Amino acid sequence: MPDTLTKPSPPPQRPTSLRSAQPHRPNVLSMLLRGARGRSRTFNVGVVMLVTILVILLLTPWLAPYDPATQDLTNRLAGPSSEHWLGTDHLGRDVLSRLMWGGRFSVTIAAITLVICAVTGIVIGALAARRGGWLDELVMRTVDVLICFPDVVIALFLIAIFGTGYGTLIAALTITGWTPFARLMRGLALEINAKEYVEAAEILGSPKAYIVFRHLIPNAIRPVLAMGFLRFGHKLITVGALSYLGLGVQPPDSDWGAMLLDAQPYMERAPFLGLLPGFAIFVTALSVTMIGQGIDIKKTRRKRAQAPEPPPGVQTQLNVGEAL
Amino acid sequence: MVSFLVRRAATLAVTLLVVSVLAFLIPYAGEGDPARKILRARVNDPALDPAQVEALTEELGLDRPLWQQYLDWLSNAITGDFGYSYTSRTPVEELVIPALGVSISLALAALLLALVFALPLGTWAATARGGKVDNAITFVSQSSVSAPEYWVGPVLILIFARYLGWLPSGGWDGPAYIIMPAVALALRPLGYFTQVTRAAMSDVLSSPYFTAARSRGLSYPQTLTRHGLRNSMLPVMTLFSFWFAGLLGGSVVIEVIFNIPGMGRLLYTAVLNNDVPVIQGAMMWILTLAVVINTATDLLYGVLNPSIRVASHA
Repeated sequence: MPDTLTKPSPPPQRPTSLRSAQPHRPNVLSMLLRGARGRSRTFNVGVVMLVTILVILLLTPWLAPYDPATQDLTNRLAGPSSEHWLGTDHLGRDVLSRLMWGGRFSVTIAAITLVICAVTGIVIGALAARRGGWLDELVMRTVDVLICFPDVVIALFLIAIFGTGYGTLIAALTITGWTPFARLMRGLALEINAKEYVEAAEILGSPKAYIVFRHLIPNAIRPVLAMGFLRFGHKLITVGALSYLGLGVQPPDSDWGAMLLDAQPYMERAPFLGLLPGFAIFVTALSVTMIGQGIDIKKTRRKRAQAPEPPPGVQTQLNVGEAL
Repeated sequence: MVSFLVRRAATLAVTLLVVSVLAFLIPYAGEGDPARKILRARVNDPALDPAQVEALTEELGLDRPLWQQYLDWLSNAITGDFGYSYTSRTPVEELVIPALGVSISLALAALLLALVFALPLGTWAATARGGKVDNAITFVSQSSVSAPEYWVGPVLILIFARYLGWLPSGGWDGPAYIIMPAVALALRPLGYFTQVTRAAMSDVLSSPYFTAARSRGLSYPQTLTRHGLRNSMLPVMTLFSFWFAGLLGGSVVIEVIFNIPGMGRLLYTAVLNNDVPVIQGAMMWILTLAVVINTATDLLYGVLNPSIRVASHA
């Protein structure tokens, strides 16, 4: 009997477990782990690609055939061979090893920036939604402004002030990068706060932490995660762009963007050299985009079916243009 | 509407004020005496004559309180006067204005190109939702979104300039010079535009007024163009102006690769040379334009979309 009371619109799937009694509770871990069944093909392909890339990058110290910095000036700009699978660069360094080591920098910097952006944006967005009033106004106006600043320009600005370095790089990408997360989180929080079950929980005197962990986070995590994946590709490309301009990762360290820069003068003699790092960025960015859209599409379908129209001006879905 | 306008105008003013303070502070940031830094950037000689430093401090009034210097700088900046470039010794506005023209034409070319392909692609995908065509178009848009322009650009140069010799590999001297950079720049917005068109169009296709129009006897293509395109244009236009503002200074990489004398390259070389007046001038112009364009878009959006207008009253 009580089961029917807590289930206003019984979802036909998963009827047995107690958790399914609440229709709005996507479980991310199980979502990621439950396997490929029922997910879009893009999502699955994206996951396979990303996991492969990450495993290769993680195992680089053991997998890389050469030291990425060892030069062999007698064997410069060599094509692919059995000794150097992807050839050598202008200093005779093994391209495959450099790609692997460089990827660690590219992906790590993009990931660190992304996490900082996401956490900042989520906290600020949720606070703005919760407090409302002048704080909300201030946050949203700031977001409006910062979101339209080109991040490469902001990066150049900071580099002009502080010089190059990992700190500057990450700071530059964070200044504009937190804004989409804040906007999304604010919309989600406003929407979730208005739900009857949150009201019910508040009337029952549930502590705030309970509402946050029981309702807010589970409901917000899927769109936020989608946004995270979608932004990751963007971050990766921007980090590469700055390195390509010589302002990102500094020698002796090298990432994919810096490798492209190195290869530039030799594009005609060794086109391979200039194609590979860009291809690596492309494939990585593509894989996360595919994952992000896979999550997003599922969520949008769900939303259409269950959620009432949000009030105008409140963003509850990913804004495709900004998120991507 | 009035309060909406006032709020946006106030935001604009505050933003520009904050940005101007930051731009003004560039030479004062970090360690060291600004006069020394300016001299070092000007003469490129690490050994400085103390008398010269003294003279410059005197000349630029660097010993005055910071707020006085800022007001001085700001009153000049408002009239577009950012001083002289350290490296080329020309007034900053004479560098910025032509560069801005170049960047605007490049950005427009790239974005219009993207739009021309994105609108039909997005519409097609929406009408064939869930089918093979839709999947293919989605995959293409995802790929184009993930393709770094600093990879596409050199590849294009390699193919069309070096191997085929059809197009010039760089520079800015006529219509032929705009093609490759525009294509390279268009790829990412193309993907975004396609997806937004598809999403907006799908909404339209499942809306009651679409069915109503169809049942009134309008043909499918007619309904698509009259109701579909018009209604999906709004989000696409927002995104268009968003990208337009972003590309005015943000196409640094492409401008560097193709050796285009635009805003991005101007700012980039200024940063490399520590040419502070140019950095300040370029920053102020780029960010001001970005904010103005986006504010204008929001206003336009409010005018075109009644639901936003109503919400702003509440």
